[in-house]
Amino acid sequence: MAGLELLSDQGYRLDGRKASELRKVQARMGVFAQADGSAYIEQGNTKVLAVVYGPHEMRASRGRTLYDRAVINCQYSMATFSTAERKRRPHGDRKSTEMSLHLKQTFEAAVMTQLYPRSQIDIYVKILQSDGGNYSACVNAATLAVIDAGIPMRDYVCACTVGFVDETPLADLSHVEEGGGSSLAMALLPRGGQIALLQMDARLHQDHLETLMEAAMTACKGVSKVLDEVVRQHLQVSVLTGE
Amino acid sequence: MIKTEKIVHLKCSGGRKLRRVVREHYLREHVPCYSALCQAGCANDGKVLSAEVTHYVVPDVSVAGDYLEVLDFTELQGIVFTQTACQAVQHSRGRRQYNRLRGLLKDPRHDCVLFANEFQEYSYCPREKGESQDKWQTRCVYNAAVWYHNHLAGLKPVVMLTEDKDAVAQYSSLSSGVYVISVQDYLKNFWPELQAAQELYCSITQALQEKESEGTEREYAEHLPADILEAGIKSGRYIQGTLNVNKHRSQHEAFVRMEGSSNKNTDLNSDVLVSGSKNRNRAVHGDTIVVELLPKSEWRGKATSLTAGTGDEKTGEDAQSQPMPTGRVVGILQRNWRDYVVTFPPREETQSQSRSSQRVLVIPWDQRIPKIRISTQQAEALQDHRVVVRMDSWESTSLYPNGHSVRVLGRAGELETQVQTILVENCIHVPPFSEAQLREMPVTSAESPWTVDPGQASERLDLRSTHLVFSIDPAGCEDVDDALSVRMLPGGRRLELGVHIADVTHFVAEGSLTDLEARARATTYYLADRRYDMLPGVLSADLCSLLGGVDRYAMSVLWELDAQTVEVSRVWYGRTLIRSSYKLQYELAQALLDGRQAQEEVPELAPLPADARDAKLAQLVQALETLTHIARQLRAQRDKGGALELEGVEVRAQLDEEKNITALVPRQPLEVHETVAECMIHANHWVARKIQESFPQHALLRHHPPPRQEFFGQLVDSAKAMGYAIDTRSNKALADSLDRATDPQDPLVNRMLRLMATQAMSNALYFSTGSCSQDQYYHYGLALDRYTHFTSPIRRYADIVVHRLLTAAISLEKGQVPKGPNKASVLNKELEEMSQHINCKNRAAQQAQKLSTELFQCLYFKDKDPQEHQDCVADAVIYAIRANGVLVFVPQYGLKGAVYMRNREGQVLSVNADGSCEWQSGSIQRHPDHISTSSSSGSSTFSLFHHITVRISVEPSRCHSDSLHMEMISNKPHRSPAAGPQSTQTQGCRPSLVQEVVRQAEEASQQAQEKAARGPKLSKEEREFRQSKVPNLYSLLEEARELALTDLSICTTR
Repeated sequence: MAGLELLSDQGYRLDGRKASELRKVQARMGVFAQADGSAYIEQGNTKVLAVVYGPHEMRASRGRTLYDRAVINCQYSMATFSTAERKRRPHGDRKSTEMSLHLKQTFEAAVMTQLYPRSQIDIYVKILQSDGGNYSACVNAATLAVIDAGIPMRDYVCACTVGFVDETPLADLSHVEEGGGSSLAMALLPRGGQIALLQMDARLHQDHLETLMEAAMTACKGVSKVLDEVVRQHLQVSVLTGE
Repeated sequence: MIKTEKIVHLKCSGGRKLRRVVREHYLREHVPCYSALCQAGCANDGKVLSAEVTHYVVPDVSVAGDYLEVLDFTELQGIVFTQTACQAVQHSRGRRQYNRLRGLLKDPRHDCVLFANEFQEYSYCPREKGESQDKWQTRCVYNAAVWYHNHLAGLKPVVMLTEDKDAVAQYSSLSSGVYVISVQDYLKNFWPELQAAQELYCSITQALQEKESEGTEREYAEHLPADILEAGIKSGRYIQGTLNVNKHRSQHEAFVRMEGSSNKNTDLNSDVLVSGSKNRNRAVHGDTIVVELLPKSEWRGKATSLTAGTGDEKTGEDAQSQPMPTGRVVGILQRNWRDYVVTFPPREETQSQSRSSQRVLVIPWDQRIPKIRISTQQAEALQDHRVVVRMDSWESTSLYPNGHSVRVLGRAGELETQVQTILVENCIHVPPFSEAQLREMPVTSAESPWTVDPGQASERLDLRSTHLVFSIDPAGCEDVDDALSVRMLPGGRRLELGVHIADVTHFVAEGSLTDLEARARATTYYLADRRYDMLPGVLSADLCSLLGGVDRYAMSVLWELDAQTVEVSRVWYGRTLIRSSYKLQYELAQALLDGRQAQEEVPELAPLPADARDAKLAQLVQALETLTHIARQLRAQRDKGGALELEGVEVRAQLDEEKNITALVPRQPLEVHETVAECMIHANHWVARKIQESFPQHALLRHHPPPRQEFFGQLVDSAKAMGYAIDTRSNKALADSLDRATDPQDPLVNRMLRLMATQAMSNALYFSTGSCSQDQYYHYGLALDRYTHFTSPIRRYADIVVHRLLTAAISLEKGQVPKGPNKASVLNKELEEMSQHINCKNRAAQQAQKLSTELFQCLYFKDKDPQEHQDCVADAVIYAIRANGVLVFVPQYGLKGAVYMRNREGQVLSVNADGSCEWQSGSIQRHPDHISTSSSSGSSTFSLFHHITVRISVEPSRCHSDSLHMEMISNKPHRSPAAGPQSTQTQGCRPSLVQEVVRQAEEASQQAQEKAARGPKLSKEEREFRQSKVPNLYSLLEEARELALTDLSICTTR
């Protein structure tokens, strides 16, 4: 079988999108009543659930208490049924620890932690179905959950992956596309254009980095528009229902 | 963002397990239809289907896969390939077929587009439960056809082609305007006059049917799956390489040349031998294959004795060299099948075969290719014809590959057929320039000649009045692509040297039809009796050609040099406007330099009054002298760096062959040749520097890698036999030691040694700077750190690319951002691909030239009786020793060949007292530097560089090209009856050889014309479409050069 053609000569990707188009994003906030904040997001076929507890006082290890700001505790996990093959995924494997750390760094940059000294904010994300862009879907879901919890943030944190195929940046990679080349993940505070996190493991020529970053920023801003709409709609509904 | 989401369930077989994968699928309302008729305002950019055709054709999946070759005909227009069909081809037919389809879609000459039907909201249909894939794909294609019809508001009927009978029945009456028919019906009803397409269709259909009824008996081992091969290559267990079949033992011996340095077996530095057809396991010459080494106990050596190439001898008792790594083919990574020219077997053989089946085993012209089984009803009719076939498949159950015939070339034995054969065998495709291409050309005619555009004139540097520009070329040259100028700058300390090259890129815009065609051809092809131009004649012979006395656009390099040391102090690159004052010939220029009274011969000066003429002449001579001075200095500089002179003194004389054709002037290497060449090398070098500095990642350069030391073995050994030491450590050492190795008695010795050195060289290649490290840029033969080709844009595409790069570099320097189609957007990857393509085409051009020369050599000897005609007896030099014979070189005809010392009956050649030879029973003994035979009448010895006399005869062959056979008739040097000095007599022969053959061929074709009124069809076409065919001087020159065995590809300077 010939290798997959990620970008056809006509400019279509495998799933019919053009290079700069995002996947369909659907989201809901406040899916669980018991948590302080929660959200569910679908980015194409990637489905993520995020739950936020806090801010509350330090529970587990008091030694880690920070006296000028809150501690953010993130935990990332994947459901056993989230990929094509069922697989038990114990807590604390390398990949999920790394992902948890990335999430933590992202949200430390966005949440106004100095408002809650000596306290802790817990963010739990779970991948229900994985189809590429796990990190960015998690960030987007967690953002909605944090907003749902009423914790002040500097801005939305929006994340998106971009790839580079045939000298063209592709926005919001799916699983197949991630396997096909370099991919760059970016978390952005869109209003100020500050980058909260930037990650890339593949080799890329320096000359191309700028175009790729530009594409990533555009994609993140696109995501932020969708998230903003979701939040507004959620607030309208909750005001109307008088919650 | 308008997006709907559909989820398709795909079952992918990833490895062994079958997995269910869910993929998203986005549909949109606006998918461009790429039709000129579109009413809905689709964003159709790029290639668009013409509105003039009577209907549009939509082939379904199986048609696009199996009958793509039929759709290849440019006559079939308005083809809409659906995405469904394209993807099916990609997945099930492999990369080659898919690339072919893509090439078709990109090619502006073919009227076909791709319609992304699966992304169109209304033409997409999801697969239903339980629906087979074939049915679903057919339904998709049908829906697409219906949508297309409706989208164009029913303006154009749409024909869907399918081979599925059920589909025809099911869909044909569903909607009006969309017709569903089979390919056969389609060709019959719509294209009844396109006989070739129907024949091709039939042959493919038959091949497909045969494939289904294959036997089950296994003839070969199965190939391993791709992932195992890949893992094996990585771990070093298997070796990847290209299969190279030994031409003389095609049945038994093949070698695998390893690719790259990736293999980990460092102890394995030679080629791998693949012995026998079972071990070769269906691999064909040129395929990229994977071999596994056999255990050392089974290693064999390669045969060292000479064979006649018939391949029917027993291999058992053959002398063998040292055992070498031997392996067997376990898998094939990439088939590199091309079109093959074949001949049908003689009648009696066919009959015995046709009783059992319809299939015929045809014999390829190329001996390295196995017989191909095709099915056809025309075997009888095509008895004595050469036919082009393609291979389809080679199953493990079949002894021979299956194929189908494509077209008939013509009768075997006719000159035209043979030349076409050479073209096909080298994958050279030179259709006449199309109307559309010619329409792009600027108009020029006798009534309204082309004139300089004032806008251009203001942009360019005008050198018309300030510089004395002249060109020096061989006599009769039409495409003058370089001109020179030189002048003393005020002050007298500095010189200004200018090289002016025809500005082809001004006329050939990047991406235009002419450009695409030129890129596909990559070079002008010179055959012995004709040439195929890269650019249409109006450009190559007129508008781009820097003729004398007319204004022409040029691309110039101007250097400011120190008058004494010729050190460069300033360079200027740019576009100019020039008017060449003199169009000199080499001989004339040399005559002027030598101070001979030649002013009458300068045609440009003839009409002037005497005093003005003398002044002008003095000026010209002065310029020529300065030029010679500069060139000497430049040459000396390069010599210090170790530039090789591989042509050698003797061979360089061959370059001046054109004299023999026009007049008999004593032939000496003219210094003016070297002068011009040196200026061109200088220009190429400086342009290479400029573009490499401007575009370090994507400049097209030309490098000549140092030769592999082991290739020098023969040279060193042979030289040692004569008592010379050859030092091959560096190019300088080699050049010096070659200069020392001269035999005052026999100038041929030095020539032979140089010839061997030339053979040891690797080829010079184009490359993109982004893909090599800087130390690999070195040009070994010219001893320059950077080199490119810039000076012949009329006949080489590489030069056009370099011109564009240089233009971009200049505008970059001026601070302009290059934009539009001329920007240097060619990226490294693309450029590397292009340079590979050009390299490949250059090799093909050389090969074709060589073959056509051989063809003419054979034709020359064909009508002569070897026993009587004196031309058939010639002097020969032994240059290599084999187990049962020697290899000789015949300087008179520039031939190389084998002379047997032992014949089939086991008799050996013994020498009588008077030097004549005859066959007697005896034994043969081989030594490194001589070979001796002993028989009842005594023993005789032949050593390297001995002169012998051979008789040349033609060995006719039915299926392959005729070959020359040489037989030793005396061990004394041949004295020709003319008794003139050897060299004069010899060189007179070669051009006359070609001329005579051409004359004969023309006579023959005339006779044929009169007889059958059929006429040489091709030549007529060629006349119409402006492809030159006349045996012009230029091609004869090229031919002479080839005969002289100079490998000019190595040190090509101009």
